[in-house]
Amino acid sequence: MSLKHIKSIFLVVLTVMSVSVLAGTQDVILIKNGTVVPVAGESISEGNVLIKDGKIAKIGPNITAPPEAEVIDASGNYVYPGMVHPLTTVGLTAYPGQRSDVNEKGTSTPQIDPYDALNPEDPCIKVTRIEGVTTVVAVSGTRSPINGKAVAMNLEGRFAEEMVIQRYTCQIFNTGAKRREKYPSTYPGVMSFIHKKLYEAQRYMEKKQKKKEENEEFNQDLEKEALIPVLKGQVPALFITYDEVTIRNALKIIDEFKLDGIIHATQNILKFTDQLAEKDIPVLWGGTSNVPDKDEPYDLNYHTASILAEKGIKFAFTQGRPESRNARNLPVPASLSVAHGLSEEEAVKAVTLAPAEIMGIEEQVGSLEKGKTANVVIWSGKPIQMSSKAQTVIVNGKIIPQKSIQTELRDEYKNIVEKRQ
Amino acid sequence: MRKKLSLFLAILFLFVTTSLAQNLVLKGGTILTITQGTIKNGTIVIEDGKIANVGKDIPIPPGIKVIDVSGKYVMPGIIDSHTHIALTDVNEATDPVTPQIWMKEALEPSDDSLLKTLSGGVTTVKTMHGSANVIGGVNVTIKLKYNRPVEELIVDDVRQQLKMALGENPKRLYGERKNQIPSTRMGNAHVMRKAFLKAKEYKEKWEKYKKAKKEGKEDLSKPKKDLKMETLKMVLEKDLAIDCHVYRADEIVWVINFCQKHDLPLKQLSHCVDGYKVADVLAESGVSYGGWIDWWGFKEEAYDGCPYGYEIMYDAGTNIVINSDSLTEGRFLFLNAAKVLKYNDIPKNEVLKMITLNPAEALEMEDRVGSIEVGKDGDIAVFDKYPLNSTTKCLMTIIEGEIFFDYEKDSVTAGRRAQ
Repeated sequence: MSLKHIKSIFLVVLTVMSVSVLAGTQDVILIKNGTVVPVAGESISEGNVLIKDGKIAKIGPNITAPPEAEVIDASGNYVYPGMVHPLTTVGLTAYPGQRSDVNEKGTSTPQIDPYDALNPEDPCIKVTRIEGVTTVVAVSGTRSPINGKAVAMNLEGRFAEEMVIQRYTCQIFNTGAKRREKYPSTYPGVMSFIHKKLYEAQRYMEKKQKKKEENEEFNQDLEKEALIPVLKGQVPALFITYDEVTIRNALKIIDEFKLDGIIHATQNILKFTDQLAEKDIPVLWGGTSNVPDKDEPYDLNYHTASILAEKGIKFAFTQGRPESRNARNLPVPASLSVAHGLSEEEAVKAVTLAPAEIMGIEEQVGSLEKGKTANVVIWSGKPIQMSSKAQTVIVNGKIIPQKSIQTELRDEYKNIVEKRQ
Repeated sequence: MRKKLSLFLAILFLFVTTSLAQNLVLKGGTILTITQGTIKNGTIVIEDGKIANVGKDIPIPPGIKVIDVSGKYVMPGIIDSHTHIALTDVNEATDPVTPQIWMKEALEPSDDSLLKTLSGGVTTVKTMHGSANVIGGVNVTIKLKYNRPVEELIVDDVRQQLKMALGENPKRLYGERKNQIPSTRMGNAHVMRKAFLKAKEYKEKWEKYKKAKKEGKEDLSKPKKDLKMETLKMVLEKDLAIDCHVYRADEIVWVINFCQKHDLPLKQLSHCVDGYKVADVLAESGVSYGGWIDWWGFKEEAYDGCPYGYEIMYDAGTNIVINSDSLTEGRFLFLNAAKVLKYNDIPKNEVLKMITLNPAEALEMEDRVGSIEVGKDGDIAVFDKYPLNSTTKCLMTIIEGEIFFDYEKDSVTAGRRAQ
């Protein structure tokens, strides 16, 4: 056998080996010896997480690596479930040459579905996931009294269908969506507008039912049709609010139409804690870093999460502005709230399991539990610390390359600047 | 007589209390001096508003108020060299050239934004004209002496900075909305160039007149005063510096070259999103980078914003300054500084400089503020944890030896809820 032959056999063997290693990264991963914080359940120091076929197969102190497993040593690091951001426009954002696909025209567009425009190549996806946010709920818009639907997805996948966890996660309303010089231009106007639309949809639903029973023909109305699952309580109604009046009005509609309501608040939510607790209405709290009203103490909003926790109200953090491309900043409100009285455990929960529960995707994501989707992040420190780095990010059981348009810019210009110096 | 005596006593009392208020000792804290390392269980003595002594075992002058800060972290007051707080108005957006505007004339010392900013350990800010105009107004550097007379806030013995702006904002406001120049970047450049060429002519005219007058020439016609030109003349004479709003790398280089060519004292570039791309140019020019760590993509101009770029600038030797440009984030610049560590490998003390000594340099106040050193102003922030631990909070903010923010009194936990 010539040297050339040996070389080519060696190359074939090497190729086969590397293919199987690559395949291994898809299938079985063992994270070893990290401080594992599953969020649901006790933390394990020197813990292991076994990932198989995109799911979490096992968690515990002693797991032997299957021979085919890719082993990641997490000694000295922290292993957490990927963060869940419940109010973003990730997947729909604009980039130079393309405008964003949010906030469709019209005051009532409940039939608008972000899934139809979901772009797995939106650069914001990579920017967001490499910092540890692995699941988002993307909304189609928030600026009309009745907006479109919201979609929950993992930030990995070639096509929209590979990313989506739940397509119709909630329906977005906004009790503060006043318009300029057009009806509805006041808060009471918005109230009566939403009220009328829901009332009409209810009538439509009854009529449809009746026609069906009588076996008669019925013309579909897509706008009204979209509101039926909301009226039936099958899909939650998420209300965007801005202040005391818009929260009060949202609660009124939830109560009147017996909706499965969620409140998104950015100010004044503490005025409603009794009502929220009594009716078990969850809150997306996006106001932590908002400046409180003029006469309020400077730290009222920093303290809000701790009081929501104390009153037993289920809440999750958002950043207030769904259009922000910086969904990765989810640890900011968590940090500020921990500084002002929230326990670290509650804060972590409010960026992982709580948003998953509020959005009804807790069976898939939000904690490290056997059978859940393997969205796992290995951190250099506690994830709510702004200085911590997401060192390894796994989404859908796949190790995500630490790359985004921003790391590419860094690499490109680091080179250029160093050369010129 | 009695009246006079009581007046005298009242004045004496006022004098004693105010002078007492500027004397203060902070004892037992971990002192992050920024320039001279960390002192554990250290003491700072502030006398007459200035740092009189810093060290581990130093004598405490008798009769001075002592605050025990054992277990706490003590750092120099945080500096924000780009904000718009405490102003009644921000943009005189009626003309692309408005250097006759002075932001100190919009200053509102009772504005609640001052207290809210103090709550984040901030003691000095440059509060600014907006970015509507190619040449805006003159910004004002202030100490956050909430509720004091306006003269006490303004730092009047440092060079103030004129606001200028390039990029999309002037284009949009004048070109798009008002259908006038500038509607392009070339238009921005033209407006800026024209204004300074005119100012040069104006300056020469006045110099000529003054020279002739000095020589005793008669029949001189006095040049007409022009308030816009008066301000630009101050810039040409280097009595005012410049802070320019700019995003794109090409514009950063353009404005640095422009200012070098016309010998204009450019100190800081604000919104300097692409700064990392030309970090070497910034470093060489000595102009400070001013910006946010991660406002990526909040508008198209900010699309190349890159939080990982700080490392490039740090390695190149750029003076990196973290700004808030907002009341919201001015309250937690320490947290924004902590984010630098998430995206970059830069020593912690160097990151702390980005909110203390570096902005002090950008404001030309580095011999007064930005570090804890004997002789500097007694501007101090006390935190309950290490300030780059993002779950920390500020407990006390001290300006020139006086407490302007106190968690114990100002927090919601103190029971000061709204009525």
